[in-house]
Amino acid sequence: MDVAKELADYAAANTTAVLDRPNPIITDAGLLAAFDNTPVDAYEYGSNLNTHLLALTLTSTQALISSLFTLPTKSSSSGPITLLPAPSTLLPREKPLPKPKPLTKWERFAKEKGISHMKKEKHVWDDEKQEWVARWGKDGKNKEKEGQWLTEIKAGEEADQDPSSTARSDRKARIAKNQKQQAANIAAAANHSSDATAISSRGGGSTLSQEQKKNLRERRKEELKRSMILSKTSTASLGKYDKAIKDEPKVKGLKRKFEPTVTNKNDFKGEKEHALDVLHKLETGVGKVKKSKKGGEGDEGGLNVRKAVRFQGKVDRASGGGASAGKKGKRK
Amino acid sequence: MSMLRTIKPKNARVKRALKEREPQVVENEKTAIFVRGQSTSDIVRNVMKDLYALKQPHAINFSRKNDIHPFEDTASLEFFSNKNDASLFVTGLHSKKRPHNLVFTRMFDGRVLDMLELGVEGFKGMGDFDSPKSSVGIRPLMIFHSDLFDTHSKYQLIKSFLLDFYNGHALSEIPLIGGIEHVISITAGPLPQDHDENTDKNLPKVHFRVYTVKLLASGSKVPKLQLTEMGPSIDFAVRRVQDADEEMLKMALKRPKIAKSDVESGLGKKKKNIETDSMGDKVGKLHLERQDLSKMQGRKMKGLKVRKERPSAEEMQVDDEE
Repeated sequence: MDVAKELADYAAANTTAVLDRPNPIITDAGLLAAFDNTPVDAYEYGSNLNTHLLALTLTSTQALISSLFTLPTKSSSSGPITLLPAPSTLLPREKPLPKPKPLTKWERFAKEKGISHMKKEKHVWDDEKQEWVARWGKDGKNKEKEGQWLTEIKAGEEADQDPSSTARSDRKARIAKNQKQQAANIAAAANHSSDATAISSRGGGSTLSQEQKKNLRERRKEELKRSMILSKTSTASLGKYDKAIKDEPKVKGLKRKFEPTVTNKNDFKGEKEHALDVLHKLETGVGKVKKSKKGGEGDEGGLNVRKAVRFQGKVDRASGGGASAGKKGKRK
Repeated sequence: MSMLRTIKPKNARVKRALKEREPQVVENEKTAIFVRGQSTSDIVRNVMKDLYALKQPHAINFSRKNDIHPFEDTASLEFFSNKNDASLFVTGLHSKKRPHNLVFTRMFDGRVLDMLELGVEGFKGMGDFDSPKSSVGIRPLMIFHSDLFDTHSKYQLIKSFLLDFYNGHALSEIPLIGGIEHVISITAGPLPQDHDENTDKNLPKVHFRVYTVKLLASGSKVPKLQLTEMGPSIDFAVRRVQDADEEMLKMALKRPKIAKSDVESGLGKKKKNIETDSMGDKVGKLHLERQDLSKMQGRKMKGLKVRKERPSAEEMQVDDEE
């Protein structure tokens, strides 16, 4: 039995010898990686591939290990832990950076005043009972008044009242108020982000200037006014006989101008000019593209209600139809 | 139109899970999905099995065949990515034109960032090497040999992909003695003389080798090493490549500005007390106060109940000796 070959293989496999490399091996300790940038030796590659790969790996790993063992360490219960530096190779993220959420009303106020957040514990020491009671929840202290069998009334108050039910309704009112404020915050955040995207899509920066904010506000105001007018005139009698609401925007209709059918006997100049104008336009084409009057808006303001209603109907059908078509989607 | 419905959280646990999926300043480890195409070969399946074992526990293996051709249609990959919150894909395919094909895909923001196609030309599985394997969840060391990984665009992409796959999530601290068990070594062959730069034919192969590392005591602080091949041993041929869109790549490489106070307070550091044991299970320690056993209610065993001494017991003594 010839074990010499086996021994040789074993020795080769378990060698700790390290090759010389002309270029230094670049290590990225943050990612536990090392890069050896010398071209692979073609002869060794051709003759004994796997042993050469093993030798290469050994060299580079030794370099990486020596760089890792020289890093600062901190001690812990299970032995020394090495603190790794930040990686030097840039690798792409899987999700984009999170967009900063706009601050809520309270957060803005607290920031301004410099109020820091105190974390409250769930249990509170009750001196009377001499034990820790939950602040909220099952037997929470916030429901104390509702469960008391005796409540003292102050001198000026009425005797005829149910203190537990008033306490309960107060608590419910506080909850409702808080939820309303939360909803308002969410709406403000959504509005903020939609405005921001609208501005950025127009090629502006991410912060809005005063002028841009003013324009947004004006546009929003106009939009609201229009929708109010539309809803008012969408009754059968076009809103003529509805009860007037205070401060309602007044509909300013467009006046349609008609040329008189019978012109003055001697005055054909107006007609002649009009006809020549038409010819001219036909020859040279209409010049500037006029602003689209799809929504029924007039050049000087005012609103053509009929056109506005038709336009709005088209918009609604487009968006409503798109959303419902999306649900069907592609099924596999 | 996405097939996924937006989930509105109805309890705290779902809310927490959704929050983890949102974009974060410091990201968590990328999950990889291993999926099979319409027809696969035995070799491809075994290669995927081994790569999956190395990527555990952040990998998902789809065992059913799917009609996916990544270079033509990316819709199903995007759907899988969104549903499983995974951003790395390995698709295994086999056809006459491209035998034993593996397509690596990376996602950014729910869309495909870039793709890499490698063909398996030599393979020896982990099971064929009679040597101890590394534990699940341990980070590998990664070594790249060849100047091509620095100069040639296709090889640069291979380097970026493989680094991202196994070591993409940068750790802030590791225990060196128990935390290093294996090393993945990737070598590109030498560039042949008849290499044509324009058509990129005859590109050298990429050799993927995995070794277990044994640290031996040496005189100094730095130990000496001993490597034993653990497997798998794969030889890849470089096929097609789809580079990332410039804009997307720029967005993906953006680094967040992290304040020093955030780093010190532990932003992005791994959650304390949660570890993955050798079986791949998630374990954590529960710390309890000292328990007063005398006040605890154990199991009741009627026969062992301590009865009060009755005065008549003495009178009832039976004389055994007869």
